Parts: sequence; structure tokens; C-alpha cells
Amino acid sequence: MSVVLGISALYHDAAAALVVDGEIVAAIQEERLSRIKNDPSLPFRAASACLHRAGLEARDIDTVVYYENPYAKLERVLLSLMRAFPRTWRQFPRALGSQLGSKLWVIDQLAEGLGVERKRVEFVSHHESHAASTFLCSPFEDAAVLVVDAVGEHASTSIYRGKGAALTGLQSVDYPHSLGLFYAAITAFLGFRVNEGEYKVMGLAAYGTPRYRDEFAKLLLAKDDGSYKLDLTYFAHHIGVENGFSRKLESLLGPRRPSHRPWNLGTDEDQHYANVAATLQLVTEEAMLGLARQAHTLVGSANLCLAGGVALNCVANARILAESQFDRIFVQPAAGDAGGALGAALLGAQRLGEGRPKALSTAALGVELDLSRALNVATEMGLRVRRVDSPADAVTAKLAAKRIVGIASGPSEWGPRALGQRSILALPQERDVRERLNRVIKEREVFRPFAPAVSAERSSEFFLGVDGDMSPFMTTVCSVREAHMESLHAVTHVDQSARVQAVTAQGAPLLHEILAGVARHNDMPIVLNTSLNGRGEPIAASATDVLSFFARHPIDALLIGDLMIERGS
Amino acid sequence: MSVLTRIGHRLRTVGGLLRFFMHRQRFFFLPLLLVLLVAGLLLAATGGLSYVAPFVYTLF
Repeated sequence: MSVVLGISALYHDAAAALVVDGEIVAAIQEERLSRIKNDPSLPFRAASACLHRAGLEARDIDTVVYYENPYAKLERVLLSLMRAFPRTWRQFPRALGSQLGSKLWVIDQLAEGLGVERKRVEFVSHHESHAASTFLCSPFEDAAVLVVDAVGEHASTSIYRGKGAALTGLQSVDYPHSLGLFYAAITAFLGFRVNEGEYKVMGLAAYGTPRYRDEFAKLLLAKDDGSYKLDLTYFAHHIGVENGFSRKLESLLGPRRPSHRPWNLGTDEDQHYANVAATLQLVTEEAMLGLARQAHTLVGSANLCLAGGVALNCVANARILAESQFDRIFVQPAAGDAGGALGAALLGAQRLGEGRPKALSTAALGVELDLSRALNVATEMGLRVRRVDSPADAVTAKLAAKRIVGIASGPSEWGPRALGQRSILALPQERDVRERLNRVIKEREVFRPFAPAVSAERSSEFFLGVDGDMSPFMTTVCSVREAHMESLHAVTHVDQSARVQAVTAQGAPLLHEILAGVARHNDMPIVLNTSLNGRGEPIAASATDVLSFFARHPIDALLIGDLMIERGS
Repeated sequence: MSVLTRIGHRLRTVGGLLRFFMHRQRFFFLPLLLVLLVAGLLLAATGGLSYVAPFVYTLF
């Protein structure tokens, strides 16, 4: 038996993934256990939870694989500090303190924290981890692999050829030129938090018009071979750590948006920022398309695998599928840095002689529910709890009665999307459901869309271009059929798109059953599906997290396993 | 885990780092690194370096 633990950590969204005999057994983000959003700390809780799921202990681990090379990282930090000197003189003590005081010793810290021999802890490169995390989990025997993120050791964008179990690097773009940091800088300019606000910018973009093409052409220069360059005079990520953009960018696009001002898209001022978001999104999509076309030219496969934080841009993914030469695209659900843990574990398993795992068919790789604890805690909280014979029927009945229902079923999701294991559900036909969810329950910006979950078998009746590889993990968007736009108003974005989850019985069994029940009610197997978390919180994972959410947020009912909990005394 | 074991781990990491820079022919880094490794240990010992800014991963 081979047991390999993959780890990503120390920058943002730390995670652990466990591969046993070459198959993926568990994958958990540290934030789900520490309850700190995007927790970057070494994921000892997640590692322990992964081992617990497999019934293993630390002494059973053959290899721990860290997702990047700490020596190459230090090399890049030193080089970039020296190249930009003297503008970086303020950063020197902090940067080197962080690297030499902590991050350089990550392999030692993992060995000591996990209680495994130091010689059993290895590392692989950042983009190789990303590439492995998507290609080795994909259903493709051969594929072009495109990794686009902020930065790893040196590379910020990489193209690989994937064949069988092998990955071969073909082309890269190196830091400080980075599509991820380009998107992050404008995210910060728009007043959102970097590494959290990028998906808000994607939602906001649909409300704007890309009026600033000329201005953005000065920021990012795309080349014929798919690569690109940033005009670094507009950016500051290479010389500072606060904003990512320079005063020159504010001279070009106007002053940055204050971060705490509520959005009002009816004003000219906020419409200007929506136009900036729209231009950013368009330029990013075109850059991604250029890279995808180059990947196709270099590799010649009909399949593409995407990874890196930019691969979570589901609007760009939809355009790549529609406009590039690729027939199929796969995006691993935790495409950001957390996913590196999975790639690292799979590469470690290969080194031990294991082959590729089965293609990923579900994101339910996380924390299991402890139902006896849930019952005890719910009873202590004085909640109305009853066991139900058919959880799906019980939820369907609540939805049919126009209720908003939380569900927790099986292991928690891997990645940033709630896919039916820890979700809030409602019928999208209800006119006020979007407002109620946005303003009262989720407490988030009104321009942010909600996603529909639809049974995969009937998805094409309601949506155009549902993709069988990406839609199960909600990593692309589709168009809503015109005939259904009115009834699906709550899950249709302003540009008539929807981030559809095509639900299969294998991927999310309870949700699939609920959709069948809803279809018996109104002949539309569709629910609004949003994550079971409040503002600024990670998605709930354990039974106590789920109950804590129910206690603090006004949803109408909650299902945990076979326990139905309703409001009221 | 004993202090000696921990020191052994750190020395193994320093060895790996030096081999990496030798392999990459970054010889000009070596004197800088030796000074910085000592400074890094001192900085770590002060414990005042936990502030993390949004773009921290681009530089650190």
C-alpha cells in the first residue's frame, strides 16, 4: 500500500490531499476546519482529517509532498528584490524575514508537525502541481494543460503536454508578468480584497461596458505566441505588497474605488467602475484565448485541462470552449492554490510507481458529518429536530412550500463551490428569493448572481451549451434559453448567462434526488444553489458548523443527513 | 522531537539550499545568503513578522 499526503500552504488557501494506492481518498482545505477564510497556515488539521477519513495515522504515510520548491521561491524573491532595488528597500527586511524566518523551513516544519521522518518530505514545483492536479484527474488520455495564476516560483503561466501519466513543460511566462496579478491589481483598484474579490469582479463585469480597451492596451500587451507582457510602470506587485497597482494606473483609469462604500450601479461613478471591470474581464478572456490557441498549436490535442486561480474564471472558460479549437475542457474544482495539494500528492504517488487515478467524478472529498453529534448539539440548542425517512422528499416538500432550505449531506466539497454537499437551496421561480438571499442571509453585494443546479439529464432543455466536463463542478457558464428566462430570473445573470451545475447521481446523490422531486412538483428539475456560509466565512464543513450557520442566519429549514430541523419552538 | 533533531533538519535544509544555488550557478547569492540566514534566524526570533499584506505572495 502506498500513502501520499500532498500539502499546499503559506500563501493563501492551504490544503491537504491524501492519495492511497494511487487513488484520491480525501482533499480538504484548512479554512473549512480552522474557520478562517482562505487560511494559509500549514494545514495540520486538514492533514489529520484526511488521514482520519482513510482510517490511517501519520506513521502510515510513505511520502509527504509540498506543492512548491522553497529554494526556487527564495531565489525568485531575492532576484526580484535586487532587480527593483532601490525601490524595494523597504520590502527587504520583511521579505527576507518572512522567507528566511519561516517559509524556507517549510519542509522541516511539515516533518515536525506531522511527525514523519524528514527524508519522507519532498517537494515539486508549483505549476507542475497545478498541472498534475487537473490533467491527472481529468478523463483525458492526452491533453494540452494550461496553468495560469498569480505566481509560483518563477512562472506565472505555463503550457504543458499531458500524455498518459506524463507532463512535459513547453512554454511559460515568468514573474513579474502575470495575468493573475493583472486581474488582482484591478480587483484591488475596484476596492475588493485580493484573492477573494476576483469572482465579484467577474459578476460586476456583466453590468458594465468594456469602454476602456485603449487604456487597457497600455497595461497588457498580448503577443502572437499567446504570451504577454505587463507594462510594469502601472503595477506595484514587484516593488510593494499593499495595492499591486501604481499611481500611474490611477492617472489612467481615475482614482481607485473606496473599499467600504456600498455599491450603487445607478450612479455614474459606480457605472465607471463596472465599465473598468467589464474591460478587465474582456481583456483577460482574450489573453486566455490566446494562450489556449497557443497550447493547441504546441500540443495538437482536442482536449484542454486548466488550472491556477485564473482557471476559476468560468466566463473565460466558456469562451475558450466556444472559440478555441478544443472539443473538451476539464477544470479541476479546486483550481486555485488549494488544488496544488492534490497535484503534489498525485505526483508523489507516481514517484512510488502508482498510475493515474480514476477521473474525478465528485468534489465530495472532504469532512464527513457526525450525525450523532449533530443530534446532540441540535437538541441542546433547543431546535425542532426530527428524523425523516426520505431526506430528498422532505427537502422537496419544503422547497415546494417556498422555503429556503440548507442541506448538509456526505463529505464536504473540495474547492470554492458548494455542489450539493453543503448548500442553501430555493426554488428559482420565487420572485423575491434572490433579494432575500443576497440582503438578509448572505449579506453580499446585490450584483452578485446565484447559480442554478439542474439535473444533468434535462439540463439542455433549459440552458444552451451545458458542458459535461466543466458543468458538474460549476467551472463554466451557459446561456439560459429565452423561453425560461422569466421563470429562472433568480439564477439568470444580467447578461442572460448562468453558472450552471449539471448534477449527476454520482457527483451529488442527494441533490440529484431533490431535483427529481422538484421536477415532479413543477416539471423543472432546477434549484437555486448557493454555498452554506455567511459573509466572510468559509463554507460550513462539520455538523456543528452547519448548526452554527442555522442559528445565525434566517434560513427556513435545515437538513443534516436524515435530520430535518425547522424554525420555531 | 529533540532540539538536536530539529537542528539536523535545519542543517539539511541549508545544505539543500546551497546545492540548489550552486546548481543554478547563483554564486553571487552565496555570501549574501550566509549573512541573511543569520539575520533571518534573528528576525524569526523577534517574532514580529506576522503581518501579511494582500500582495505578500508576490514578493515573499
